Amino acid sequence: MSTATVSAPSRGRVLVARFDDLLGRAVSMRALALLRVLAGPVVLLHLQPFLSDARDGRIYRDAFYEPYAAWYPELPRAVYVGLLALAAVAAMAMSLGLLTRIATATTFAIVAYNLFLSTTHFHNNRAYLIIVLGLLAAAPCGRELSLDAWMRRRRGRPPLDRSAPAWPLWLLRFECAAVYGASGLSKLVDPDWFGGTVTWQRVVRAKQDLEAWPLPDWAVSLLTERSFHTGAAKLIVLTELFIATGLWWRRTRYAAVWVAVAFHVAIEFSAAVQVFSYLAIAVLVVWAVPSTRDRVLRIDLTDGRQRRFGAAVRRLDWLARFRVEPAPPDSRPEGVDRDGSTLRGTAAVALALSRLPLTAWFALPALLVARDKRTLGPP
Amino acid sequence: MVAAVVVLQLGFVARAYWSDHKEFGFQMFPESSTWRADVVRVTADGRRIPIEYPWSGYRWDELVQNRGLRYPAVRHHADAGLANQLAFLDAALDWVADNTPRDAETRYLEARVTSWHNADPPRVRVLRSGVREAAG
Repeated sequence: MSTATVSAPSRGRVLVARFDDLLGRAVSMRALALLRVLAGPVVLLHLQPFLSDARDGRIYRDAFYEPYAAWYPELPRAVYVGLLALAAVAAMAMSLGLLTRIATATTFAIVAYNLFLSTTHFHNNRAYLIIVLGLLAAAPCGRELSLDAWMRRRRGRPPLDRSAPAWPLWLLRFECAAVYGASGLSKLVDPDWFGGTVTWQRVVRAKQDLEAWPLPDWAVSLLTERSFHTGAAKLIVLTELFIATGLWWRRTRYAAVWVAVAFHVAIEFSAAVQVFSYLAIAVLVVWAVPSTRDRVLRIDLTDGRQRRFGAAVRRLDWLARFRVEPAPPDSRPEGVDRDGSTLRGTAAVALALSRLPLTAWFALPALLVARDKRTLGPP
Repeated sequence: MVAAVVVLQLGFVARAYWSDHKEFGFQMFPESSTWRADVVRVTADGRRIPIEYPWSGYRWDELVQNRGLRYPAVRHHADAGLANQLAFLDAALDWVADNTPRDAETRYLEARVTSWHNADPPRVRVLRSGVREAAG
């Protein structure tokens, strides 16, 4: 065949091939394993009102409900209550990583079944929950941070590969961004929302609650001022859109995660959103780069404070970002980032804390200062 | 499969702009709208009895307990938007009409709804359940 007859692949095909490669590439499932652990308590919190009603002898169909479809199967009362209890057990097993795949799939199936029993069961946080559970059920995320892995080690069997095709992670990232994007966009195109009418009216109607808070009078006055909401509403909309887009780029990702956490904490304190805040904050872990132990933290084991710090990092490094290695005596802590740049002293401590899920939110601002103190390559 | 999920999700987001319940549309805190309704049972002989009075062993606040519909006469915030709220109220009227077998006198339930969409002037509309054939 002559080279003239071979046509170059179209740009579309190249793009599809690159996407295929991206989705099929094996990456660390650590973030999904951590999300699985965190999702269990969220499911229990979600099931709590259903279980509480069932304990009091009430289920959904004892009062107004509206099936999505006449053909949707409804179970005898005892079986339905049993399923709810099974979902709670499965959620605990999912979190602990016991028979992880089965437990996660069972949790997903029952939570989804229950959601679709009635239009009255539907809330955005529950929709997000079943998306997360569905993707966790599809991903092999029980090979670490799990009793399954622990028992495998105890039996002397080799660990299973902790990496797997990246598509569930990418889908979850897409869904996460879609939640903020859809919410922000709907407010952006609504003149009442973007102009501040909606937030202003909500706050004015809740003025009595506001006055019960320990807020100074001037703050209450400001919050109920119409002109304040002209700006505040735009800030809220732009915050949601910033989170939706900022998460996709490495340069803005940490800022987007930081803003998202603050945003959810504010929502949790000001509105009743069921499990939304907990779930949304937990899902943010999927934005961690899916590779593990690619940063180094060197600590002087002869120094008590450094030794304790190293132990804390090991314990809190749920995303497995660091290899903690001994440093020569009398040296300061040293952090080597993924790109080879090195930080020393408090800057290294800030780097470590900024990469641990529990401390990241507090430490990320400190890292902005530490950024200037990086040295490239080995010292 | 990934492409299918992405397209489906985007479809749900678009659908949320015209559907009542906006499933998977993720439109959070969409409106500051409020509503209230006078709900009555209209009997076969034409009487209009507020649902605040129990009837045939039934109570509205026991039959309809969720989605902010328990006390319709009190002005409420429409959490997920007016369209969503009124669709639920409409469905609740039908459900009560269909699930109160001891009631032999009610022909249908009717809600006279006053709603305030954000800062717009109030709007009044009437919702009715299906007609109950069993009513004498």
